[in-house]
Order: sequence, then structure tokens, then C-alpha cells
Amino acid sequence: MHPFHPSYVFTVLVQLFPYIGVTLLMMLGTVIFGGAIGILLAKAKIKRRIVPRAIAEVYTYLTRCVPSIIMLFIVYYGVPALLLQFGININNFNKGVFVITAFSILFASNLGEVFRAAYLAVDPGQREAAVCSGLSEFQAFYRIILPQAAVHALPNFSNMLVNLMKEGALAYSIGLIDVMGEGNLLIGRNQGSYTLETYLGMAIIYWALTYVIELIFGKLEKNLSKGKKHATSVA
Amino acid sequence: MLFSVKNVSKAFKDNQVLKKVDLEVNKGDVVVILGPSGSGKTTLLRCIDFLEKADGGELDFDDIHTDLSHASAKTIEKVRKKSAFVFQNYNLFANKTALQNVTEGLTIGRKVPKDEAIEIAKKALDKVGLSDKYDSYPVQLSGGQQQRVGIARAIAVNPDIILFDEPTSALDPELVGEVLKIMRELAGEGITMIVVTHEMKFAQDVATKVVFMDGGVVVEEGTPKEIFTNPKEERTREFLMRILPDFNYSI
Repeated sequence: MHPFHPSYVFTVLVQLFPYIGVTLLMMLGTVIFGGAIGILLAKAKIKRRIVPRAIAEVYTYLTRCVPSIIMLFIVYYGVPALLLQFGININNFNKGVFVITAFSILFASNLGEVFRAAYLAVDPGQREAAVCSGLSEFQAFYRIILPQAAVHALPNFSNMLVNLMKEGALAYSIGLIDVMGEGNLLIGRNQGSYTLETYLGMAIIYWALTYVIELIFGKLEKNLSKGKKHATSVA
Repeated sequence: MLFSVKNVSKAFKDNQVLKKVDLEVNKGDVVVILGPSGSGKTTLLRCIDFLEKADGGELDFDDIHTDLSHASAKTIEKVRKKSAFVFQNYNLFANKTALQNVTEGLTIGRKVPKDEAIEIAKKALDKVGLSDKYDSYPVQLSGGQQQRVGIARAIAVNPDIILFDEPTSALDPELVGEVLKIMRELAGEGITMIVVTHEMKFAQDVATKVVFMDGGVVVEEGTPKEIFTNPKEERTREFLMRILPDFNYSI
């Protein structure tokens, strides 16, 4: 084993930097599609109509029990096999599609819980006051409930993003070349040299990303907390 | 007659909270609903504004006639736009300033132009004595001030009727007066209102009609004088005796 080269960590950072985009795109895609499913799940659970609610509960239960890496492989092998039954061949689709699909399925339940908790944190009396003021149900939701629920959702949402980012590193296992994937390729190209330096470089990238996420969400929460306790007067 | 409900029934699971309640309100009336906890007063008020869905009953309000259990979304919106509701817990919009709380129902609910809405809202807040609190958020206001914003929000839309659901019950005793004072002023201006309250003095002084409810039915109704000095029903007497220490009636 060769001696540890701290300076090589820097080289790794430079080489992996462009792949942060792939990691961020994976997160963005998952938040969009997983968020869409999550909204449906949250709505089904809040509205308490028996059939949608049962479906949402079962969905949450099933997906919560599956490790990400298993879900990745199930989607990676399962979805093309399923679609092939209908004569659709998606075997040469970008790996990112499978990764986003798998993580959307998984994180939809987390996102749904984040949304549901945030919605329930707003006093239902405000909805009543809004509709009694002559707003429609949609206007009451959109103008009164949503802005407050969004603020409640921010801390949990940011936690979830960090989790998603870390779990996302597993995507290399089906061949996605993100920060983790490219890091592994680097190790391979160096024939096992600089392994520790490479992993340290990756850790630094994930640490920096986490820091940025938490910074952004901390600022957002502060700015959006209009009318919450400790908020400063506008006057 | 401006407003009436007939045969309002409502059950929560096995608990029959309202049993065919009737209520009539003329223009300019101040109808005060009294009764022990659990008598259905608040539920009646909430059914009128469709915050609870009644199991049965009819509503006549100006030109609107509707079934309370099968009202269309459009009818419900129409009723709500002609009325206003003041809540026990104020229910101010926490993300909006006092002024925005009042303009919301005007600009969004009723499509009043913004400048005009702000003028109306300022006048309403001035009227409830909050000229210096336009830009305060609800958390920065005391309970009494919050409820006054709630009342300003109600009067700003110039409703045909205001429904008050125990507007002083959540307030510290020393803040009750400031809210009742405003309600007295509104009554003096001839604003039609239905008030669910435990403030007997208010009922005695201000009401044009007192309705006594117990066990989901209207036990007795009449002028404050009739109810407070000469109640016909035993249940009314018992209630008044419990609540008014110096209550005397002739046997």
C-alpha cells in the first residue's frame, strides 16, 4: 500500500466536480415525481375517504420496508421486463430514468408524510375563516394554508433531501455515473491506488452539498416565516 | 323576514346534537342564543354557514332558498358571501397582517379593487380601535385585539348578517369588555347578528330576541325581558338560576 497523499484529494475533487450535476438532477427528478405522488398520498390520507386512504396506507407501508438498493434493482430489471410484455423496449434508456423512478417510488411516501404533517400543522380554523370570508376552498388552500404549511414543511423537507442525496449514491450500483459512480471509476482507473483519497474526496463533496442544502433551507425558513413567533414586525 | 332556518338536525355519530331546530331573524335583529355547554348552539351556527353539514333542514336567506344537507358549492359560496362569521378562537390568518386579514375577503373573495379594499379595511380597523395595528401580525396582538381584527374582518365585507360564535369565551376577563363594547356599537347601528354567548348582561341589554337552547332543541324564545324576568319553562329557570346569582322569579 502506497503512502497517503492528501494533495490527491484535491485532484479527486476537481475530477468529480462535474458529476455533482448528475447527483443534483437525480434529486430534482425525484423531488418532482416523488413529490407529485407524495401530494396524492398526503391528500388521500387527509381526506379520509376509505378507498384512496387504504391505497395510500398500503403504498406507504410497502415502500417503507424496501431498502433503496433493492428497489433500484427491482425497477432496473422489473420495469423493462414488464414493459417488454407490451412490446415496449426500454433497455437502452438512460440509467438516470431508472434511478429517478426507483427513488420517486421510495421517497413519495416520505414526501407524502412531510406534506401531510405540514398541512395538519396549520390550524383548520383558518380554512374555515377563509371560506367564511368568501374565498373558495381552492383560494383558501392556496392563499392561506399552503404558504404556512410550506414553512412547516421546510425542515423535514431539507432532511429528506439530504437523505435522498446520500441514498442516491447507491445509484452507481446499476451503473449511473454520478459523483459516487465516477469516483468508483477513478479508483478502477488508478488500479486501486489512491482509494482512500478518492473516498475522502467524495465524502467532502457530499458534506459540502449537505451544508449548502441546509444553508439554503435555513435561509428560506427564516424569510418565509411571516407572522410566526419571533418574526420581526414589518412596521 | 331576512333569514330563517327550519328543522335543522345534526348528529355526530350517535349523539343527536340538533333536533329539528327553527330560528327566525328579522333585519336589524340581535338574536342571542343562550344555553348550557353541549346544547347545540355552536353547532347550529356552524350548520348555518355550512362549516358543519347538517343532516336535514332548510335555509331561507334573502333570495336564497336551500336544503342544508344538499346545498351546492355555489349556493354555499353565495350564503357565505352575504354573511360573516366571528370565531371563538379568532382564526385570523397567521401569515397575514391585520390589514391583510381584512382585505382578503374583499380582494379575493369579492373582487374589490385593491386600493378600495385597503380603504375599507382601514376604516373597519379604525372602527374597532386598531388604527395603530394595521401592519401587525396576529402573534403580535393580544387576544382582545385579535378578536377585534376578527370583527373588523366581518364588518368590512358589509354582510347582511354576522354570526358570532362565543366571541369572548377565549378571552381573558379583562379583555372581554373591549370586544363586547364593539358588538354593542354594531348592534346600535342596526347590523343584524346572531350571537352565541355566555355574556348574560350583553343578552339582557342588547338582544332583540333571546333564544334558549338545551339538549338540541329550542326550549324557549322571547324578548330579553320575557326570558330574564318571566321564563315560562322550568329548564330556562334552572339555567338562569345557575348562571345569574341574583336571579329571582315569581312562582
